[in-house]
Amino acid sequence: MSTRKIVTIVEEIVTEGGRPVEPAARVAVVAAIIANPWDGQGFVEDLNPGIEATASDVGALLASRVVEALGAPVEAFGKAAIVGLDGEIEHGSALIHTLKFGDHFRKAASATTLLPAVEKRGPAGVVFDIPLKHITDATIRSHHQSIEVRLADAPHPGEIVIALAAAAQGRPQQRLAPLSTEQ
Amino acid sequence: MTERSAATAGIRKIVHYQEEILLENGTAPAVPAVRATVAAVVSNPWVGTGPDTDLSPATERLAPQLAHVLTDRLLESLGGAEQVEAFGKAAIVGTAGEIEHAGALIHTPYFGNLVREFLEGSSIICFADDRAEAGQALVVPMWHKTHAATRSHYQTITTRVSDGPRADEIVVVVAASTGPRPHPRIGDRATDPTVTSAILEGASA
Repeated sequence: MSTRKIVTIVEEIVTEGGRPVEPAARVAVVAAIIANPWDGQGFVEDLNPGIEATASDVGALLASRVVEALGAPVEAFGKAAIVGLDGEIEHGSALIHTLKFGDHFRKAASATTLLPAVEKRGPAGVVFDIPLKHITDATIRSHHQSIEVRLADAPHPGEIVIALAAAAQGRPQQRLAPLSTEQ
Repeated sequence: MTERSAATAGIRKIVHYQEEILLENGTAPAVPAVRATVAAVVSNPWVGTGPDTDLSPATERLAPQLAHVLTDRLLESLGGAEQVEAFGKAAIVGTAGEIEHAGALIHTPYFGNLVREFLEGSSIICFADDRAEAGQALVVPMWHKTHAATRSHYQTITTRVSDGPRADEIVVVVAASTGPRPHPRIGDRATDPTVTSAILEGASA
C-alpha cells in the first residue's frame, strides 16, 4: 500500500439549535489517501490480489487512528471510499466492502453491525458525506447521522481516499421517537 | 475548563483538521511535518451594528477566549509548543458581517499576542480572511514562528467548516505546522544571488 497522506478531522459540537450540548458531541474522521492498486491497468477482472494486498492494511491503519482521535467510546460508525477520476467506483468498493477491511474497526470499537458506507468518484476536493449508524444495532434512530468531508488536494486521478468515521454519541439534540414505537 | 471556555466564548462548533504527508511526488519527506488547523464557529457579536461601532469591548472579551480554545487543541494534537515551527491565522465572516469584524477577532493583541505566546513564537503571524457563505474553503498561509523569512517554511493549509459561517457567525482559525514543506529546495535569502532587472537584462544580452 502506497499512502501519500493521512488526514484526521475532529468535530466538536458545543451548541445546536441554540442550546448547549453537554458534553460536546464529538465525531472523528481519519482518511488515508492511497494509490489506486489498479491504476493504469485497464479493466482488471479479478480484483482479489489488490484487495489482499491493501484492504486489511488500510483498515488496520484507519481503525486504530480514528478510535484514538475520537478519544471516547465509539457509539456510531461509518466508512467511505472516494475514487479518483481515472479509477472505477468498483475499486473503492473492493477495498472497503470486505471483512478484511471492516473487522479491524469492529474489533477496535467492540461493534457488531455492518458499517454504512459512501462510495463515489470525483476530483480532488470533492465533497462527500459519510453516513454513521449505531455500532451494535443499526435500527437505533438516535444514532443515524452523517459528517461532511472535503480534502483539498485528494483524490488525484490515480488515487483512492479511504476513510472511517466514529461518533461518541448520537445526534446532538436527538429527540425522535424510537423505531419500535411506530409498530 | 476548556469546554467552559468554548461555551462562554459563544462557540457553536470546533473543527480540528490535521494532515501528515507520508509521500510527496512519490518520495518520503526528509523532514516529515504535521500540519493542522483548528477552526471555531462563533456568533458575530456585531451583527446589526453600524460602521461607527467601537469593536474593542467585545474583542477584549472574546478574542482571548478564542486564542485559548484554539491553541489548546493545536498543542494537544501537535505535541506541545516545542513541536510547532510555523504558524498562521484566519477568519471567515458570514455575509451579515463586515470583514472588519473578522479582523477584530484575529488582528489585535487580544488574539495575536496570545497565540504567539502560547505557540512560543516571536514572528508576526501571517493570515487570510474572507467574507463567505458556509462551507467556503480558505487557504491559510503559515511561516516560521521565530524567523518569518525562512523560505522552507512558507506553506499553506486549507480550512473549511461544512455548515459555517452562517450569515451572523464568524469562523476563527489558528494553523500550525511542525516542519517545512515536504521537499524544500528553492534556496533561502542567505544563499540567493543578487537579482535585479538590470542584472537579468545583462545576462540575456
